[in-house]
Amino acid sequence: MKKKNIPIHAMLVFSCLIAMLPFAWMLSASFMSRGDILTRQILPQVVQWKNYMDSWNQARFGLYFRNSMVISSLQVFGIWITCSLAAYPLARLSFPGKNILFLLILSTLMIPQSVTLVPNVLIVAWLDKHTPVAWINNWPSLTIPFMSNAFAIFFLRQFFAVIPGEFWDAARVDGASHLRFLIRVVIPMSKAPLLTLGMLSFMGAWNALAWPLLVTNTPAWRPLSVGLLNLVEEAGIELHLQMAGATISVLPILAIYALIQRQFTDSIIQTGIKG
Amino acid sequence: MAMRHLKDTVTAYAMLFPALFLLGLFGIFPVGYAFYVSLHKWLISPGDFVGFEHYKKALGEPQGALLLGAALLCLSLGKLFSRPIESKGRHSPRKAALVSWPLICLACALFLLGARYISQHGDPRFLKGLRITSMYAIYSIPLQLTMALGLAFLLHQKLRGKGAYRTILFLPYVTPIMASAIVFRSLFSPRETSIANRIIGFVGLQPLRWLSEDDHVIQVLGDITGWTLSLPVWIDAWVPSLALASVILYNIWVYVGYDMLIFMAGLTQIPPELLDAASIDGANSRCILRHVILPLLSPTLYFLSMVAVIGTFKAFNHIYVLRTPAAQGTVDTASVFIFDTFFKRNNAGYASCLSLLLLVVILSLTLIQRRVVGKRVFYG
Repeated sequence: MKKKNIPIHAMLVFSCLIAMLPFAWMLSASFMSRGDILTRQILPQVVQWKNYMDSWNQARFGLYFRNSMVISSLQVFGIWITCSLAAYPLARLSFPGKNILFLLILSTLMIPQSVTLVPNVLIVAWLDKHTPVAWINNWPSLTIPFMSNAFAIFFLRQFFAVIPGEFWDAARVDGASHLRFLIRVVIPMSKAPLLTLGMLSFMGAWNALAWPLLVTNTPAWRPLSVGLLNLVEEAGIELHLQMAGATISVLPILAIYALIQRQFTDSIIQTGIKG
Repeated sequence: MAMRHLKDTVTAYAMLFPALFLLGLFGIFPVGYAFYVSLHKWLISPGDFVGFEHYKKALGEPQGALLLGAALLCLSLGKLFSRPIESKGRHSPRKAALVSWPLICLACALFLLGARYISQHGDPRFLKGLRITSMYAIYSIPLQLTMALGLAFLLHQKLRGKGAYRTILFLPYVTPIMASAIVFRSLFSPRETSIANRIIGFVGLQPLRWLSEDDHVIQVLGDITGWTLSLPVWIDAWVPSLALASVILYNIWVYVGYDMLIFMAGLTQIPPELLDAASIDGANSRCILRHVILPLLSPTLYFLSMVAVIGTFKAFNHIYVLRTPAAQGTVDTASVFIFDTFFKRNNAGYASCLSLLLLVVILSLTLIQRRVVGKRVFYG
């Protein structure tokens, strides 16, 4: 290590410590007993693995975890399917109305969620009454409205558009249709953007709070975010359970991030440069 | 050939259908529907048509809104007049300024008048929400961008463990918001033994009430130091409460890593020859920073500030977790107020009206940002 780099390392280590401090506190408090919390300890006297069992069973975090997993995965698969299908013709086919449609799709990027929130609750309530499927307090209302979005279509289109035309020529000679070409060639070639998009969508679904608060009023399909909010609102002193719940909700995201870290940061950087 | 073209068209629309159907039903149609709902008395179920009553309740009589609209019109006219003269290549910037500057001044005057009218006659809770949203943006964005830029400079060199630093600093951005917000709620709790109070205790300061403190920061500082400082009311209204300042700290913690990553990417795009050339010409490092690096980074800076402004207007989850009754609503942004109007008071009509007004504010802000800042951005 060069000498002149020492102050730089010092500053960076200091920033990293600040970035890590909340995680350290979360883990530490999640292992405390109620006594530790009451006596304001910084570290648990005896590590309480029991807290995780308690929040999983008593605070129903097992159920919420399952709900969040199902909701987020369904959203990701929905987005992968509908948005790949939509991005392909926008990237590679020419047809009348293409530019207008693309502009229309992009214009929805400007609309914040708070504008569509209220009418969408009314729409979902209407669907709940007039279709055979139950929407309120059920998975359709939590997943189907989010299975398509403009950002995903735009993001995938950019990648689909740069696949060389020779691939399609070769596939057509072999008698492949566009759909077959998309499934067999384009999608396998776009693993990195699809993974990044999956991660971003999964994070978005995992974080959602306002919408699930509005369309669920029983625990049956309540996601982790709502479970955590309830824990904050009702139990002041149960800090150890809150922190165990928070840890439970952090782990899957960090696991996925660790798996696809390289592709993820690269794609994030690319969206920044293009913007 | 025509046959194949037709086939392509059919295929294209068939493939687009699922996405367009969902986007239309849950993304575009709701905007129109929100307007329809906002024109009705709409509690749990639809009621009578009330016309623009909700808008009047939010903004007062139409004069204020008309003044603001006129201000926007003047601003765009001012730009319109200045443009053709520039683009024709006739170098008469003075002539352009003669038309455009008075128009821009007029726009500012109209804006101030309109804002004053609305602030006196509109719904005070909604306006307070907008003011808090603006404060949130004004204080958090410059801080967060400066810190991120500093970190990006530190990391933009050969350094051992660079990848590890980058990953650690980026981690807060991927962490689920609900989890990190709950942790911050405990870190910044008003208890004497909360982590934040222990940290300031190291420097010998008395414990503060952080997220539960509705007094504004200057007043809190005054209480600590013993000075008393009385501010005029209009400045007073624009100083964040300590609770809001804590939320801003949270926001910085989350986004610094992301901004840093994008800045680092921007820095790697600057060709090193340019920096060498500048230093050979005798520019010192401050000079290089000011006249070479920052102009070349301006597109990145512009992108990040746009993302951040839109982000602060959308911010909801962490504020909903971090707000406490004791903060007396000093952290409730416009989107939180709109959500409560619908969720707690069941007033769909008024909530729709407010959310459409928020949309107008966001659209005007992006427009102004693109007109005013966008022109100064230097694209290589």
